[in-house]
Amino acid sequence: MENEKLLDLEELDMPEDELFSFIDNSTLDSEKITAPRYSYWHSVFRVFFRKKINIVILAVLAVILLFTYVYPTVTDYDKYANLLDASAKHLTPSAAINKFGFSLRWILGAGASGESTFDAIWYGSRISITLALICAAINMTVGVLVGAVWGFSKKVDIVMQEVYNIIGNVPYILLISVVVMIMSASFWSMVFAMTVTGWLYIAYFMRTQVIIIRDREYNLASRCLGTSTMRIAMKNILPFMTSVIVTYTATEIPSYISSEVFLSYIGMGLSDMSLGKLIYAAESAMVTPGWQFEFWSPVVISAIITVVLYVVGQNLGDASDPRTHM
Amino acid sequence: MAKYLLKRILHAILSVIAVVMIVMILIYSLMNRQLIFSSDSVYAKTTNNAKQTYMLRKWEEYGYLDYVTYSDYLQMLTDSGEIDEDTRAKVVNFARKAGSDSEEVQVYIDKFNDYYTKKGYTVNRLDAVTAGKKLANGGQQQYYAYKDKPLISRLVTYFTSIISVDNVHYVEEDLENRGITFTTHDPVYGGEKFSPAIMGNGTKYKYLLYCNDKFPWIHQNLVTINLGKSYSVNMGIDVFTTMISSQGSYVNSVITYPTGLTEESADDLHMATYAADSLDSSIVFTSRYTDHYTSVPTVKGGMSKMGYSFSIGICAVVISYLLGVPLGILMARKKDKLVDKLGTVYIIFIIAVPSLAYIFLFKAIGYKMGLPTVFNVDSTSKLMYVLPVVSLSLPSIASLMKWLRRYMIDQMNSDYVKFARSGGLSESEIFSKHILKNAIIPIVHGIPGSILGALTGAIITERVYVVPGAGNLLTQAINKYDNSVIVGVTLYYAILSVTSLILGDILMSMVDPRISFSSKAR
Repeated sequence: MENEKLLDLEELDMPEDELFSFIDNSTLDSEKITAPRYSYWHSVFRVFFRKKINIVILAVLAVILLFTYVYPTVTDYDKYANLLDASAKHLTPSAAINKFGFSLRWILGAGASGESTFDAIWYGSRISITLALICAAINMTVGVLVGAVWGFSKKVDIVMQEVYNIIGNVPYILLISVVVMIMSASFWSMVFAMTVTGWLYIAYFMRTQVIIIRDREYNLASRCLGTSTMRIAMKNILPFMTSVIVTYTATEIPSYISSEVFLSYIGMGLSDMSLGKLIYAAESAMVTPGWQFEFWSPVVISAIITVVLYVVGQNLGDASDPRTHM
Repeated sequence: MAKYLLKRILHAILSVIAVVMIVMILIYSLMNRQLIFSSDSVYAKTTNNAKQTYMLRKWEEYGYLDYVTYSDYLQMLTDSGEIDEDTRAKVVNFARKAGSDSEEVQVYIDKFNDYYTKKGYTVNRLDAVTAGKKLANGGQQQYYAYKDKPLISRLVTYFTSIISVDNVHYVEEDLENRGITFTTHDPVYGGEKFSPAIMGNGTKYKYLLYCNDKFPWIHQNLVTINLGKSYSVNMGIDVFTTMISSQGSYVNSVITYPTGLTEESADDLHMATYAADSLDSSIVFTSRYTDHYTSVPTVKGGMSKMGYSFSIGICAVVISYLLGVPLGILMARKKDKLVDKLGTVYIIFIIAVPSLAYIFLFKAIGYKMGLPTVFNVDSTSKLMYVLPVVSLSLPSIASLMKWLRRYMIDQMNSDYVKFARSGGLSESEIFSKHILKNAIIPIVHGIPGSILGALTGAIITERVYVVPGAGNLLTQAINKYDNSVIVGVTLYYAILSVTSLILGDILMSMVDPRISFSSKAR
């Protein structure tokens, strides 16, 4: 009885094409799988900018990069310009502004040879940040590539494990100082010293990550279906690695700045006035009343730089994890 | 298990040897030897031939090469009885220019040349540098041979001389009644108190085994560890001795010398070593000693370098586990709540800010609070330990929190937790009895590492707070090009790190019965 009712189209008061109807089995359509349009990097940035704090931090990072790379090119900084002026040395910000008049360069006071602390910091951070970026680029590239091979091949694993055990025990400071002694304390020898074994630790980390994912069922299934190893590496494993790599890079870049500061402090760093060297040179100023600004300014700025780089990297790492894209 | 352990230990020994080899290549082959003279005033002053021989002599002292002069060679021949003293004295002086020697001298000059060329040495003769008829400053003629120490033989001699056992044939001079004696009443205590000791004659140390009132009460000098004799950091003293000998000011006590003389002194008679022909050299010795065991170190009030590093380090380790583990658990339990967010901020701060920056920050805060910021060896105040311990424990608390939180959150999503929850267990039960037990395993693995790591000291902390610890030994040695100290400290680090890895694995398998090393992995 109810069937009869439903069949009565007029009672439903609906057009015919809104009702169920039989359609033919189309072989062409059944080959297509439809899903919402998904672009990986588009989603990464959508998730990244969803957090408002990220925009603020990115703005801070932009300011920092502006000061490190653009500011030194538009100002001419001469460390020894005021060397003969005894009254220009070790000035607090207010004293410096009183003496030289208000300008951005004197807002952090003046240093031991009458130079502007503000300018010195940005010149130093240009060296430090460049060093960190170059080292991170080299180490991450080599480390990820070697780590991928290391994780995939069991033979390579046996050899590399031993290499890792041995190199990992050579004191890091010793290696750096020997390289610096052999090649002089220039920028590029520092890059060499930090990358000559630095990639090994990243490769080891990547190896573990690759091993975890390598033997998952979907990869086994993929292999059974005849996918080549290269394709498994590129299409099945690399997407999983992206967020890990980005997160790791986020910790790496600040860590190079930190170790540069550390090496300079123990007297084995660069000969250029990097951030670490500035801190090292101003160490005695920390305990001298009235001079503290010289010491704390580079310390605080280097802390801000590393924190900002770290937070941006971590959040980008979170955003690049496809599981957060839902 | 035993077989696996044996294999691991063998592996560890091999990798330690490889590490030492790499370090030896780094410092002896790759580093520029000329660097050791960069701040040497004597080098700058010497000229002509003297400069050449000075360089070679220094290089020998720093362990780069073997260096033998002609007169050393003649002395060696005299000692072995090949030539007598008169001949030696006759032929030891050679002419200013090569080829103008007398026939008698020429015989030995050739002999020297043949002997050392055969052994692979480079033999060199420098003609005198004259200014007019007189010798120029440092222009004395020189005749010598030198040879770089090959890596393999350097490595072998190094490893075979690490552990040395004292024996009665140590002293080369003629001695009456060589041998070992046992006494139940140690003469150092006046011979009245019961205190057993084993004493040797002919050995390096006078006391091979003795008792005193210091931990661990029974001490020995029979087996000594040599990691490498220091040259510039602590002249002539072994690295290991440098690390374990006490520092600070002298502690006087009434002691009885072998002659019976009692005196208030800081001499540590138990550590007396043999010094050839020293007894009659000074009235100080003749009045106190009856034999040549006169070289005595002093008793000092402070701890050793390793002692300071370890006591600061171990406090920091204990504090960081006591704080880090509960805080990590708390963060995991209150995930995404305020506690978790505060903890994350702290972790980010520690990871991202250069360690130097926050150590200085805490030094400044401590200074404002009136804590001592400089370590004083002679002070008995325990307050001076506060800042170094805090500076050391802050980063390890952060890393413990970070990892424990990570492991616990990973466990929270696993099926057995859901099952336990559906079974009606309370959250605190699930956390303490199920999640924590699984999450703590990787943390347990790191415990031996952090305890043994306390022995190596911390570079920045010790430098900032002027702690006389072991952490700065390596940087000091590198700055002073003290090669044998560098090798010794590296060996020490490497041994500690491989031991802590093995101990960590053992501890992990003890905590978690599922981990077994005896059977092959499934």
